[in-house]
Amino acid sequence: MSEEGYMLLQIGPQHPGSGHMRMLVKLDGDVIVDFIPDVGYVHRTVEKIAETKLYIQNIPLLEKPILNDSGNANLAYIIAVEKLLDVEPPPRAQYLRTIMAELSRIASHLYGIGILSILIGSSTGFMWAFGDREIFIHLMQMMSGARITYSYMVPGGVRRDLPDQFREEFRKAARYMRRRYKDYEKIIIKNPVTRARLEGVGVLSREKAIEWGTVGPNLRASGVAYDVRKVEPYAAYEDIDFEIAVREEGDCYARLLVRFQEIMESLKIIEQALEKIPNGKILAEKYEKMIQPRAKKLVEGTGRIKFPAIYVNLKPPKGEVFSRVESGKGEITVYLVSNGSPKPYRLRFVTPSFRNLLTFKNLIPGHRLADFPAIYGSLDYFPPGADR
Amino acid sequence: MGLLTNLVDHLKAIGTGLKYLIPRRLTLMYPEYVEKLPEGYRGYLRYDNEKCIHCSLCARICPANAIKMYRGGDKKLRPGINYTRCIFCGFCADICPTGALEYTTIQDIAYEKLEDQVYPPEKFAKGVPQPVYPEKPIFIIAKVDEERGLKYDRV
Repeated sequence: MSEEGYMLLQIGPQHPGSGHMRMLVKLDGDVIVDFIPDVGYVHRTVEKIAETKLYIQNIPLLEKPILNDSGNANLAYIIAVEKLLDVEPPPRAQYLRTIMAELSRIASHLYGIGILSILIGSSTGFMWAFGDREIFIHLMQMMSGARITYSYMVPGGVRRDLPDQFREEFRKAARYMRRRYKDYEKIIIKNPVTRARLEGVGVLSREKAIEWGTVGPNLRASGVAYDVRKVEPYAAYEDIDFEIAVREEGDCYARLLVRFQEIMESLKIIEQALEKIPNGKILAEKYEKMIQPRAKKLVEGTGRIKFPAIYVNLKPPKGEVFSRVESGKGEITVYLVSNGSPKPYRLRFVTPSFRNLLTFKNLIPGHRLADFPAIYGSLDYFPPGADR
Repeated sequence: MGLLTNLVDHLKAIGTGLKYLIPRRLTLMYPEYVEKLPEGYRGYLRYDNEKCIHCSLCARICPANAIKMYRGGDKKLRPGINYTRCIFCGFCADICPTGALEYTTIQDIAYEKLEDQVYPPEKFAKGVPQPVYPEKPIFIIAKVDEERGLKYDRV
């Protein structure tokens, strides 16, 4: 990249403007001719660390890379472990997981919208999205007891039942968000500045999206109605009626709209889940009966569970499993190999940002430098997630 | 997309901005105001020496190796915690069969030295560290509000 007549521009690796990565941009005038995302600045060997920890100890570990969507990262791993252990969580736990995953998706989308807004210079969009994200964090804190690192799901179920005030609080939050969406529409979505910056920019065609293995809202914005929640339903998605947000245009604007549509769809999913949620236990019978009776007494009436002592010694039989969930940014896949010991033999953890990296690399060349932040923001690329 | 629609959309955006001109703060002026966290929040841990049955489950489940078992004068194992490592997942409290370990809603503790954050069993059993505020704060509870998103009620 040192030929005559071109300029090599480095964006990053300082955090503002580039995220935790360096981007090498080769410019001809202000047109980008080549682009290399230099990733790996926040590589934390998550997969290798996972081999040194017990199955239960990997729950908080795998949340950390996808911190702004940790509910879904948690779910992907737990589904894999349950497949290995051959445990089926009770229906109530499945619904609680769905609620958690959807709240997490809303928070993740608001995060993405906020980052896109600030990258195209709309501080209002940034402040609004991050402010409203706080409401959903508040709801998830009610459910799990932590703001960001929920560690809510455990093999065989979930750690806590719905708190009493949750329904009422969620009803208010949903109403607020729907009303607020009308304001979002005026101040961000239909704002002529946003449209000028995003419409027709970074067009990802349907064919290219499939060829480059794009996942998540970025894929759906290019006209491919692919969603793991529909293709391979997990948790309680089978019983829930929802639509996949799809747009045909494939530009940055379509990606923004898909995210907003999905937030609205998620609100509907949670409402349905709260309506249909059955009564019953939140931990599988197999583990429930292993909890000591005196320990059970301690948490009676609090809606919490006590872990059975077996959790520190989970030894799944030999085998290999594969699980996937649709997170806010796209498909998370976990490939887990057990050799019968209390620690995983191998854990492959593929995050949506990692899979969107190729799209990111290929989509940039041909655009002007001024469009670079818009495309980067619209892909909702999360460097810690990609590097792991 | 004519000039006129553009103008209308611009005006709508400005109008929406004006609607929010009166400050409705979502943030909290800490430490003058402090959020009282709900029961069940996973904060600092309380250790009860009397209830402990020396089973070591807390140390075995700890994902961050924050809890370590110490052998005391009576040859029994008791947990100590290193808060520089703790990630507040609450696994230790959830697996404790006797309720000797419990989470509290305390979360905002400042330390002068790193070493101060290590709690051997004797220090751990003495009680939960209490936050220090410059003056007596006003405690509030956060609630979802249809109008403002989040609102803060005084306790």
